[in-house]
Amino acid sequence: MNWTWFHRLASPPHVYAFAQRWTRWFGGAAALAMLIALYGGLLLAPPDYQQKDAFRMVYVHAPGAWLSLMIYTTMAVAAAVGLIWRMKVAHAAAAACAPVGAWFTVVALGTGMLWGKPMWGAYWVWDPRLTSELVLLFLYLGYMGLRAGIEDPAKADKASAVLAVVGVVNVPIIKFSVEWWNSLHQTPTVMQMGKPKMDGDMLWPLLLMFVAFALYFVAVLLTRLRAELLRRERNASWIREVVA
Amino acid sequence: MNSSFATFSDFLAMSGYGKYVWPCFLLGFGVVILNAWLASRSLAAAKLEARRRLEMNP
Repeated sequence: MNWTWFHRLASPPHVYAFAQRWTRWFGGAAALAMLIALYGGLLLAPPDYQQKDAFRMVYVHAPGAWLSLMIYTTMAVAAAVGLIWRMKVAHAAAAACAPVGAWFTVVALGTGMLWGKPMWGAYWVWDPRLTSELVLLFLYLGYMGLRAGIEDPAKADKASAVLAVVGVVNVPIIKFSVEWWNSLHQTPTVMQMGKPKMDGDMLWPLLLMFVAFALYFVAVLLTRLRAELLRRERNASWIREVVA
Repeated sequence: MNSSFATFSDFLAMSGYGKYVWPCFLLGFGVVILNAWLASRSLAAAKLEARRRLEMNP
């Protein structure tokens, strides 16, 4: 098997050039997909037979919550790669994930609260799904706090990577919390085996919004990764060429 | 393709759930815009820092 691509990933100038080239494409595609999905979700999708137009909150809540988990998983994988292969770029990628992931956990919690009030009668309940998502926010904040608290970058990378990897156990807990325990939160509608339990006119804007959020995350990650690399590689000769 | 709302005020009302639906979208897409801005600001600051360092140690 040819491993050249993996070795290239370890090269900061190569990754920087890749990020520079691709960010606008991912960002542009994300913006376009988001606008179409918003139009479909807010205007074209029919109202739900029980929740009426309140169900439209799904177009923000579900992609936001999914992204909060996807970003944590990406961060943990990058941190593990950084630990195992001592790859600086991987540690930089993990560090770049954290603030974005924390923000989308806030989106998941905040939009969930706004949806919970009219449907459950309360903004917050200590339910397994909600509580484990709140733990995710603390994991992100803990990761960032740990990085900020250790001055030596190599030590900060290592310590925070261990936390990220250990914390990944929370991801399946969040995902399956609605099936393992009695939860007010509904079970999956789209991400399940077999056919989604949703009408096609409601489903396509949601699926497109998932794609849009994923593309958006790649664009933001690549931008943050470039900033991380510039700061970490401050004495490298390639910096001169890219900022000149 | 037809909109599922008859009037613009129906759209704003969201069948009575407007006070939850609109803040929900505002929060979600506010964070989307905020994070794009924070990332570009961080990159611009890192570039400026690198340029200054190069000027000081040519």
